[in-house]
Amino acid sequence: MSEPWTVKHRPKTTQEIAGNKLAIDKLKQWLDSWNKGKPTKAAVLLYGSPGVGKTVVSETVARERGWDLVEINASDKRSGEILSKIAGLASTQSTLVGNGKLILLDEVDGINLREDHGAVAAILQVTRESRFPIILTANDPWDSKIRPLREACLLIELKPIGLRDGLVLLKSLLSKERVTADEEALRMLIEKNRGDMRSTTNDLQVLARPGKTLGTSQVEWLSWRDRTESIFDALRVVFNSKTAASARRATNMSDVDHEMLFQWIFENAPYQITDPKEFGEAMEALSRADLFYARIRKTQSWHLLSYALDLMTAGVAVAKRTPSKGWVAMKFPQRISAMSRTRGKRELRKGLGKALGSKCHLSSRRAAGLYLPVIEFIHEHDGKAYEKVADWLDLREPLDDLFSQEEYNP
Amino acid sequence: MEAALWTEKYRPKTLDEIQDQEEIVARLREFIKNATMPHCLFAGPPGTGKTTAALCLAHDLFGRRFQDVFMELNASDERGIDVIRTTVKEFARMASLSAVPFKILVLDEADNMTGDAQHALRRTMEKYTDTCRFVLCCNYSGRIIEPIQSRCALFRFTPLPEEKILDYLGDIAKKEGLKISPDGLKSIVEVSEGDLRKGINTLQAASSLSRSISEEAVYQVVGRAKPTDVQAMLNHAIKGDFIKAREELRALLVKYGISGSEIVRQLHSEVFRLAIPERRRVSLIEAIGETDFRLAQGGDEEVQLSALLAKLAAETSSQKGSIETHVRTLDREA
Repeated sequence: MSEPWTVKHRPKTTQEIAGNKLAIDKLKQWLDSWNKGKPTKAAVLLYGSPGVGKTVVSETVARERGWDLVEINASDKRSGEILSKIAGLASTQSTLVGNGKLILLDEVDGINLREDHGAVAAILQVTRESRFPIILTANDPWDSKIRPLREACLLIELKPIGLRDGLVLLKSLLSKERVTADEEALRMLIEKNRGDMRSTTNDLQVLARPGKTLGTSQVEWLSWRDRTESIFDALRVVFNSKTAASARRATNMSDVDHEMLFQWIFENAPYQITDPKEFGEAMEALSRADLFYARIRKTQSWHLLSYALDLMTAGVAVAKRTPSKGWVAMKFPQRISAMSRTRGKRELRKGLGKALGSKCHLSSRRAAGLYLPVIEFIHEHDGKAYEKVADWLDLREPLDDLFSQEEYNP
Repeated sequence: MEAALWTEKYRPKTLDEIQDQEEIVARLREFIKNATMPHCLFAGPPGTGKTTAALCLAHDLFGRRFQDVFMELNASDERGIDVIRTTVKEFARMASLSAVPFKILVLDEADNMTGDAQHALRRTMEKYTDTCRFVLCCNYSGRIIEPIQSRCALFRFTPLPEEKILDYLGDIAKKEGLKISPDGLKSIVEVSEGDLRKGINTLQAASSLSRSISEEAVYQVVGRAKPTDVQAMLNHAIKGDFIKAREELRALLVKYGISGSEIVRQLHSEVFRLAIPERRRVSLIEAIGETDFRLAQGGDEEVQLSALLAKLAAETSSQKGSIETHVRTLDREA
């Protein structure tokens, strides 16, 4: 991997950019309007969260028109004077070969008012005098600093890429790299990065191994990448301490919050404590810690937290008397991964339960538990009867959805 | 459109259509005769007709158009104190415009309300008694706070006797044009355990296999509709394999969406079918009861049930140990 995938697979044309078709069309129309003279709004403020493609869009539209791109971004020195000099040059002089130009002022909301003294005024002046189209980009167009700019510009929003477009994009990228991946893993990646394709691509490059299929477990590890080291230290303290006092140090060792630490201990206890009796005691300690959590939730008595923490660390540590034989790998808490993996399905069940409950006079949870298995059984054995039920409930589509998901059946 | 789920299609509309819980129905009829009623607490296991009785009561009191004077809320879904303070209060305080001087508010699964919400409810009940009567439905009256209980007439719904379930199901089978073998009918009644909803659901699911229902069909339904993985989970734990047992538990909780208290309930009934020494059965029940209690205290389902499984696994190992010790002593004596 000589170059980052974000560079290697950077779109070269607007066609290659997934999503945001309307926004790109709007930008193109505005650029075309320059043929008939300078439009009333001399600049576009292209905004959207990081990684939605603001810079890429600017690059590709310029390239497609054979224009030069004059770029000034946040990493450049940006005091008003220098800025107006560069931009002024760019906007008044034609290039040697007489190409058109597009001026890109990247990340204008990153202007530091103290250091970039006069920057906003300078940008405004540039837009007034420019003979070439100017694109400004920002994450947050509502930042009060850039209000004067906002008023002078045509606003175009780029939205984070949706799941469907994102999947298509990642799949084509992977096929070029000859890497395979579970669709679920890709889904998780996109969700984790909230539609930021740049960071998704970075993640993908870190995870992908030729000849190996990328699975959900790797994605889970990734999101914990920075935090796992410290949690491992904390777990080692819990499972290897001889005394209560030393075990309870674990709570202050990791960056993860204590409820996550609980999940890690809960997941790994059966692997780390092999004697059944000792393990039973450890689980009793966790059960009691959990009860303290319940009391805290119920009464908001946060002073009880220290007992929960002591039980889950010291309680587990003193239960374990037989030292581990050899090294046992720590496991990622299934609770956390199952939650993220089955989120869609759970949401679906919840929604169905609610609708069922109102028809059948039950709570959503009980309705889902009591009726979904029955409906599923009918679905499998008598299509007509199923349609009748589904239509009466007015839930045809979500029910079809639920039963068509393969993992629904063990 | 006619209801396609039979539990709804055949839900009695009037008190006259209810063929069981005779004493309760008789007392409810008195309310209608006198056009008055107290707040009521309907307690009993699922599928015994609590909600149905409340709906029929409203129907018979107000006639067919009772939407304006009747409200049904499910406390499990809307158990927050806010719902009590807003939705319930709004409904309760407005006087009824119908001939009957009060409205009815049915609160299903009321035992799932938080303590705070129950206390808020108590005040609302008291304040708006003139304009609104409450019917609280719950599985366990003990989970309803004392002050509310004392303001309600208590009705205890009992599991339906086998012959009643037989009657209901036979009736539905006839109306749906199903043929059902006596064995088939009997097996549905057995798996229903006095829960008519369960019986009707089983019947409807079985009817999707064939219009003539056999005992096998029923077992095929039950095997799927009620995941018997609870048994598998218990067996893993008793064999000392906690990790496998926890996998089963997670499947039950996450994949099937079965609630922790339902698993506890099933575990409880499994205990008597297990091939274990009698003394162990009793200690097992105590452990299950303790878990049930901890869940009621707000404990996390997976954590609490895992701890129970670990306890079972630990007991197995210590018993194995004691058997082995025993054998060794014998060896030495020999």
